[in-house]
Amino acid sequence: MASIELLRRTLQRRGCLDDPEHGILNAVSRFTPGTNVLAYLAALGWSYHGAVGAVVGVLGGSVPGSVVVTTLTAVAATVDRWRPVRAALAVATLVAAVFVLVNAWSLVRPYIRGARLAWTVTTIATAGLLAFAGATPVRVLLALAVWGALTPARNPA
Amino acid sequence: MSLWLLYALLLKASITSFSGVGALPQIRQDLVVTYHAMTDDDLSRAVLFGRTSPGPVGLYIVSAGYAVRGTPGAAVGWLALSSPAFLAIPMLALLRRWLHLSRVRSALDAVIVASATLLVPSGFELVRDAIAQLASFVVAGL
Repeated sequence: MASIELLRRTLQRRGCLDDPEHGILNAVSRFTPGTNVLAYLAALGWSYHGAVGAVVGVLGGSVPGSVVVTTLTAVAATVDRWRPVRAALAVATLVAAVFVLVNAWSLVRPYIRGARLAWTVTTIATAGLLAFAGATPVRVLLALAVWGALTPARNPA
Repeated sequence: MSLWLLYALLLKASITSFSGVGALPQIRQDLVVTYHAMTDDDLSRAVLFGRTSPGPVGLYIVSAGYAVRGTPGAAVGWLALSSPAFLAIPMLALLRRWLHLSRVRSALDAVIVASATLLVPSGFELVRDAIAQLASFVVAGL
């Protein structure tokens, strides 16, 4: 989300994007499966330059980082046998695991603070129970999509 | 593990998530638990490298691909990360037509909340794994 906000500011400063268009692209990125910022870039590229724009947007948003992350992973695999490096990586992986939990909270926080608290708690409990019962993540998500469709908000925003 | 299977598994995880690390539970289920193609430790590091690299948070999928099959695996991971983004193009049309329907919005909200819920057990598994590693260093140092 921070990347999208940064992108919005940059494009608006250059006069390439207005608020209504950003709102549409942001909603699309929010509801497209996968990585939000790449979906935003694909939709942005498509809006301005068609298929070529979408491809350039996704390549520009994913290739540089992919090269960096591959290099990091390869280097870490090489130096992994050194004890201080292993200790440092263990500390860093603990931090990364905390990032995962923080990300979960940032996803659910708008719903906890929204108007449908009971619905959100029920959704969380149902997902947790299904996962605890051994359902795979895909099945949990499908079941909850059906649950969501059957329990729409009475006064949607 | 073949590159095709790796791509299919990573794409399945990527396409069923709605956030950077949302694919993590499915990746762990497939690559760690079912196929034993990588360890929890590898996965934790993939998340770490994904977070420390410039670009989308989901870049850890590239690192996970590398952990399983080296550079070709990283390329497959990049493909699995990037390809769902193109769904945004039909989504642009669908959004204008259907997203005002409360049932559609509610279904998507439920999927987002559920994906966040699924992150919690995966996150705690990774925390437990990291603490076990740190404990082994402390014990070895005594």
